[in-house]
Parts: sequence; structure tokens; C-alpha cells
Amino acid sequence: MKRLIAAVVILAFILGATLCNTLLLGSFTGELTHLLEQAGQLGRAGSWTQAQVLTRQAREVWQGRDSYLHVTLRHADIDQISAGFREVEALLACREEGEYAAANARLITQLELLNEAEQLNLKNVF
Amino acid sequence: MVIGFLRTIILYLLIIAGIRLMGKRQVGELEPSELVLSLLIADLAAVPMQDFGIPLLTGIIPILTLLCITLILSVLTMRSIRFRAVICGRPSIIVENGVLRQGEMRKNRFTVDELMEELRIKGITDLTTVKYAILETNGQLSVLPYAGQLPATAAQMKCNPREGGLPAVLINDGRVLDHNLRDRGLDRAWLERQLKAHGLRDTRQVFLLSIDEGGQIYLSKKEGAL
Repeated sequence: MKRLIAAVVILAFILGATLCNTLLLGSFTGELTHLLEQAGQLGRAGSWTQAQVLTRQAREVWQGRDSYLHVTLRHADIDQISAGFREVEALLACREEGEYAAANARLITQLELLNEAEQLNLKNVF
Repeated sequence: MVIGFLRTIILYLLIIAGIRLMGKRQVGELEPSELVLSLLIADLAAVPMQDFGIPLLTGIIPILTLLCITLILSVLTMRSIRFRAVICGRPSIIVENGVLRQGEMRKNRFTVDELMEELRIKGITDLTTVKYAILETNGQLSVLPYAGQLPATAAQMKCNPREGGLPAVLINDGRVLDHNLRDRGLDRAWLERQLKAHGLRDTRQVFLLSIDEGGQIYLSKKEGAL
């Protein structure tokens, strides 16, 4: 009976931990996309410095969770997004409005897809 | 992560069902759930081991999940006969009173050739001498000949042979196993006397020396050490 209870408890713990990870990733990527969308609006309005501040802030938030991200996600996905942040910041520094808008939208999409892939729904399970 | 967890459970149960549907002969010496576990764990461990771009957790979570489900299934099969029949199946009687049960053979996809091969392995060439042949849930065939076809035992012959009991190894490849020596109430002095009796001076000249519960000694000298 002890072994049965231990196995059920471990399974429940794994389910709980993985669901927490999904929620955590959802709020984390949500925060980042919010910051990047705000930066995009500021970029379109010509407030480049403000946009740069928000983008850097988003990158720092991203990098602050580096260990967590590497433990839970595929490293290729993380590297792709890290490169995306660098690209967006470089285009912001050059004031390239069109290319910045495209790169920012791409980065936001990548973050949304990262979150989407971890969501518990039938589409992902099957 | 949660997707991996759920996929692991779904695939595990699906493969168990698949193995059960394939029949007993696919199972070998393991129960279906054990076979599936051993099939999956090796692959799950290999992927994060060789691909450093995949987090270790993507291997650990499915493996832990599989181990827990297997543990749950094994406890449930211990507790419920009906559940055990669902997971492991039931033994099938292939031969009864020397007569082939063709329906059971078809159900288990067990051919006459395979049956004859199994019987030959067990030293039986005449089907009419078989009282029961049972295909067990682990895929093995148990053959029970008629009582009249069984070799006579010492008890049936009213004989009283010496009981050797479990032999204990005292010297293994030149090394003396002192705990076995003590367990049998013997000592090094006794050992040296035995060596001398066999014309040996040193334990390193012995490959194997064992003694059974009746005191019968078996000694094998080491090749090239004489």
C-alpha cells in the first residue's frame, strides 16, 4: 500500500509541477510580449529611446530566467529567442522602423509559440 | 512538460494494449507492462543523453511517470485478479488430455510447428503423452505429461538418497571466502588439511572448492598453477 501511495503521490507531484510550469511560462511570456508590444507602439510613434528601454527590460527579464528556461525548454528555442532580442535591439539602435517592426513581430510570435506549445489542450497532446 | 507527462501515459497504455493484442508469444519472459517499460525507458534515456539541446527533464519526467504507472499497475495486479487478467491475460490450455485445442491455438496464433518445437525442447515427441500443455501469460509453454509418463521419483521407488543440500563455495578462483567457512563452522586449519589431502600447498592453486550440507567436498584445481 505504501508503494502504491508513493507512486500516486509522485505522479500527482509531476502533474502539479508540470501544470505550474505551464502557468509560469504563460505569465512569463505574457509579460515579455506585453513589453515588446508597448515598445513596438513607441517605435511607431517615434519614441525610440523609450522603445529601447522597454526592449532592454524585456531582454533582462528573459535573461534573468536563463537557468529555468534551459532546464525546462529546448535549448534551440531559447537560443532563437535570445538572438531575436539582439536583432530587435540592433534595429532599434539603427532606427530602422520597417525592419524593427518586422523583427519585433517575429520575436513576439516566437514567444507566443513557445507558450502555446506548453499549453494543455488536445491539439498539443495529440 | 505537462504535454510530455500526458503523452507518456497515453503511449504507455497504448503500447501495453498493443502488446496484449499481439498475444502471449510476443511477451517472452516478461509481463506485458514490464516489457513495455523496458522497451521505452532505454529510448527515453538515450535521447537527452546524446542530444545536449534537450533538457534532461524531458527524459526524467517520462521515465519517472512510467516507473510510477508500472508500480501502480503491479500493485493493482497483485490486489485484483480481474485487473491482472486484463493486464497480463490468462493462461491458455493448448493441449488437454492429449488432444489439441485448435480454437485456443488460433486465438493465441500458436502454430503446430511452434507447439511441436516447444514439446521437443522439453523432450516430448508424442502428443498423446501430454495431459496438459499450457501457454502461460509470459509466453512460455508449460507441459504436464500424464502421471504414467513421468519419471519415477526416489520416494516412489522407496529409496532414501543422501540429501546434499545447498553447496557453499569456500574457495573461489584462489580466494578464500571466510564468511562461508564460518557459516559452515569450519576454519582455515580445516581448509589446509583438505588442501594437503588433495596434494595442494596453497589456496591459490584452487579454482573452486565447495562443500554441501552433507559435508561432501568438490575441489577443482586451477589450471597452470600446479
